[in-house]
Amino acid sequence: MNSYYAATLAVYAGVDIIACIALNLQFGVSGIVNFSFIVFQAAGAYTAAVLSMPPDSAYGGYQTYIGGLQLPFPIPWIGGAIVGGLLAIPVGLVVLRKLRPDYQAISLLVLSVIANSLITNARTFLNGAAGIAQVPGPFSNQVDPLAQSYQLLYVGLTLPCVLLVWAVASRIVNSPFGRSLRAMREHEVAATAIGKNPVQLKMTVFIVGGVIAGLSGAILVGYIAVWAPSVWLYPETIILFAAVIVGGRGNNVGAILGALLVPVGFEEATRMIPPTIGGWVPPPNLIPAMQWVAIGLLIIGFLWFRPEGVRPEPRRVFEGAPVREDSERVLKS
Amino acid sequence: MELYVAALGFGLISASVIAIAAVGFTMQFGITNMINLAYGEVMMVSGYAAFYVNQAGVNIWVAMIAGALAGAALSFVLNRFLYTPFQRKGTNLIGMVIISLAASLMIANLMLPLVGYDTSSYVIDQGQLLRWNGLVLTVAQIAIIVVAAILMLAVHGMLRYTRLGKAMRATAANPTLARNCGIPTQRVISVVWLITGALCGVAGVVAGMDSENFSVASGAGYLITIIAAAVLGGAGQPYGAMIGALIIGLVTELSAAAIAPEYKQVVAFAILVLVMVLRPQGMLAKRGALAAAG
Amino acid sequence: MRIQNVSSSPDRAMLAASDVYRHLDGVLAVDGVSIEVPKGKITGLIGPNGAGKSTFLAVLAGTLPASGGSIVFDGQDVTRMPAYARARRGLVRTFQLPSEFARLTVLENLLVAGPHNRGDSLWGALLGKSYWIADERRLVDQARGLLQRFGMTAKESDYAGTMSGGQKRLIEIMRALMLGPRLLLLDEPMSGVHPSIVLEIQSYLQDLRREGLTILMVEHELHLVEELCDSVTVMAQGKVIGTGTMAYLRQQKEVVDAYLVG
Repeated sequence: MNSYYAATLAVYAGVDIIACIALNLQFGVSGIVNFSFIVFQAAGAYTAAVLSMPPDSAYGGYQTYIGGLQLPFPIPWIGGAIVGGLLAIPVGLVVLRKLRPDYQAISLLVLSVIANSLITNARTFLNGAAGIAQVPGPFSNQVDPLAQSYQLLYVGLTLPCVLLVWAVASRIVNSPFGRSLRAMREHEVAATAIGKNPVQLKMTVFIVGGVIAGLSGAILVGYIAVWAPSVWLYPETIILFAAVIVGGRGNNVGAILGALLVPVGFEEATRMIPPTIGGWVPPPNLIPAMQWVAIGLLIIGFLWFRPEGVRPEPRRVFEGAPVREDSERVLKS
Repeated sequence: MELYVAALGFGLISASVIAIAAVGFTMQFGITNMINLAYGEVMMVSGYAAFYVNQAGVNIWVAMIAGALAGAALSFVLNRFLYTPFQRKGTNLIGMVIISLAASLMIANLMLPLVGYDTSSYVIDQGQLLRWNGLVLTVAQIAIIVVAAILMLAVHGMLRYTRLGKAMRATAANPTLARNCGIPTQRVISVVWLITGALCGVAGVVAGMDSENFSVASGAGYLITIIAAAVLGGAGQPYGAMIGALIIGLVTELSAAAIAPEYKQVVAFAILVLVMVLRPQGMLAKRGALAAAG
Repeated sequence: MRIQNVSSSPDRAMLAASDVYRHLDGVLAVDGVSIEVPKGKITGLIGPNGAGKSTFLAVLAGTLPASGGSIVFDGQDVTRMPAYARARRGLVRTFQLPSEFARLTVLENLLVAGPHNRGDSLWGALLGKSYWIADERRLVDQARGLLQRFGMTAKESDYAGTMSGGQKRLIEIMRALMLGPRLLLLDEPMSGVHPSIVLEIQSYLQDLRREGLTILMVEHELHLVEELCDSVTVMAQGKVIGTGTMAYLRQQKEVVDAYLVG
């Protein structure tokens, strides 16, 4: 297997895993249907880009954007994560308070469409529809970005991020705090009756998710070196939702599994489709369109047949618990 | 100043298009508690149905019937074979939203290979350009406003004076009670989806007439203004949707004249957010967007 | 199980609601209701269907905001306080419809209600298990104590959503008790419960009263009300139409006309 291909796969997988863990925290564990998730990834990517690039004058006018502070790694990545979290504050304060859940969801969906449209139209902010190109990755001054060693370096930078995010998410989900989040997901009104403040819980998860989403964007933009509105249209969030639903809601292993099955596995599988099938050449845009149809079918199919996903949320059993009659797999706490 | 009066005219057309769509959308919500995010895509499909009939030489106003039929059929199928089974299964509100979003994605992407990525336009005779006190409208545009007005009156008449309308209102208010009173709620719901589907279809054609061109991607764009109008008017309230459409139509066109045309949707979104924060139940609804209390 | 000590005078009402109003769907569901719930006693709230009892309970708990009037809990005005804040101060409610956390185990349902858990915040969670494990173990012991007292030890690791109606009712009561409440608002605790469990719940409530807990209970079964409640308030059409013992109320014409059938 081509090592460039393997490295690309690894980086994409890492980014998708990080994104799915964040979405799972918001949606799977806490029940927040964040249809604007991709906006937070985009915020992180744009931030990392404008922090790591030289001022736009260096390009002789072919792209215009704010910032251009040319800061070295790891500042762009940290900046991306922070901005992802900061963006979650006003959005969360407006949307997450008194609305019923389905209204929250559509507000966030509409926000995603509008944000994309705004950035496209504000040409001098982040270079509009054309987006930002030639984003330097970390250490691209020291190591030639086109060399094989750079690929390994990038994987080496991505992997610790994945592990860090997994560790943070694990601590959250497997703690009393995570339990409160799950209770809020199950029955919000009953949760208030036992002293949980749902607004505070939701805002916390929204911000944490935003931070992680921002980080995923920063990692991705450093690798693919471009970022434009066409990369973060609202359906991108739906792929991640499909991943979390398929992999298994409410648990990090399920989120990782979903990331590997859907955005990664799916893309790779369709790459294998030959250019001609028995002499028939499919029109160039048929495959991507059918991918989207398949994503829709995956979501509907899993919600019908197996809503808990491939790897469901585990049952928490505590030390010293009496033995249960059935032989279901348990997770010792 | 003339710019604003002209914008007022555009606002009326815009309001007409949105009203036809929003009334259908809000009635679907009222009767089945379903935020049908595939509504925009059904509009788009209906728009294309009329397009092909139009291409075959039929006058667009007649081709509109094809659009209405397509909208009715597709909406009926969506509700009967996708939404209702999931609702019977006990899927919660959020699950239904996700499902309708998945459906909208599928419909759009099934259309793409069929009709392509390019934009299309209707063959339409705009007729004379009429001027009156600063308002500048073509005959066709005035016809759109007239069609909308007729449809609004028809909806009003149906709701108020027909047995079906009464059955609809009863089913929307309290389905169990309605069923116990002998109303065939399943059939009423199916009829509502046929009627609102037809409205959706007409809206899709009219939207295509109002803009210079349309494409598969138009579906998502329609949805934002429709949701804004429906929420502003109060979820499930057809008369509220009419008022909401009027306000959204006028405000977006006036601000397009004042700021820039690209920001029309942003203005609609801003209104949506303001309504949700300040008065989530909308103008007319007693229950609505507020989170369910114990 | 702890019942918090209350430093108030013995004859002050634990809860005093004055002139409470609540609009619901354009109707006055609660129309100028005043009530005093004496400390350490079980007070009943009865009335025909649609009288506004559950709505009133929800307003007392803070689940629904009051449209007018005031609510004073143990000397503190809680009228503007959200439900979760009232619960933290010891004003805890249960629900008429089952409201267990379905995909949490029975034990988790109780644990999640346990206050003072260092792991129940973002920072606590991030600091890791060693930071909060002591609190967690303490709560597990407390919860298991309750499970034993209410006879549900064997069900500890079962999902609460798979429990029977009566078991869910018990889970809710135990969950409320984990908070160490000072006033328990029970919304039809016996409805939909098997008669044998009704007797159990009855005896638990009497035990709790003996231990000093104040209870306000909405209930339909009049013989239960008669056995359990020290005093009863009757509501009809959003208003209070009588207060006193059941014997006294049976003699009030308005009450009999509105509600009691012998």
